[in-house]
Amino acid sequence: MALVHIDGDDLVVVMEGLDKLWALKSSLTIPLANVRGATEDPGISAEPKGIRAPGSHVPGVITAGTFHLDGEKVFWDVKDPSKAVVIELADERYSRLVVQVEDPRATVALVENALR
Amino acid sequence: MGRRRAFDEDEVVRAAVGLFGGRAYDGVSVDDLVNHLGVHRNSLYKTFGSKRGLYLIALRRHVVDDVRPLVDALATATDAAAVLGLITSADLGLLLLAAVERAPADEEVAEVVAAALAAVDQSIADALGIPTELAAALTAAALGIRLRGNPEGVGVALTRRLDPLG
Repeated sequence: MALVHIDGDDLVVVMEGLDKLWALKSSLTIPLANVRGATEDPGISAEPKGIRAPGSHVPGVITAGTFHLDGEKVFWDVKDPSKAVVIELADERYSRLVVQVEDPRATVALVENALR
Repeated sequence: MGRRRAFDEDEVVRAAVGLFGGRAYDGVSVDDLVNHLGVHRNSLYKTFGSKRGLYLIALRRHVVDDVRPLVDALATATDAAAVLGLITSADLGLLLLAAVERAPADEEVAEVVAAALAAVDQSIADALGIPTELAAALTAAALGIRLRGNPEGVGVALTRRLDPLG
């Protein structure tokens, strides 16, 4: 599970509990100017994720860490696909973040509102 | 940004207008978009940023493709009956859904919807030589009649009382 919040002009994603171990990352800070949008996407976990390095991938249990797909780097931290949110980035190390949050609808609204 | 795309963005946006206009915003998942628009999930995110990003582009496209022709047609209307006929027969599916579903929650959507309806009002006002407030009332009545499935006789009953308006 990840906590997503806005801190000034930044989007901050904090990995909770053991997720920080699986994902090998405790938090990510992205300038809002480099955030293109957020979308609820429970279906994304069913798609090929690419090659993992580094991080953990136990199919059906947890997808966490950095994945390489079609020349893009995607950061994952998802156990429950029904709560996955996709945050699309520009000019960042990661092309997008796929994170599990408590309330996907609220997180999407938070991010999209911060971009207006 | 000069990205090469493996799909026709124009076609995808047009298809999104149909999808969002037929099923509403919340009724369309990213899976639905991927399946119906024939675009890979990655490309979808890369091109439009988010589902909302695509929705806003689709809504603006709907205004250009479907509301503009209505505005142009209304400019030649000669009475309230003609106005009602044009509005009740135009393809306004996405605009109406957006007004009900997304505009209350999304300022940007609200602005697009308000601007589109204001253009409709203005066209009617100019065509019939009436104040924009009265034109807006006529638009509201026409949209209401449309939402009720254009029941027989309702439009006629209204315009019989209204015409001549000028």
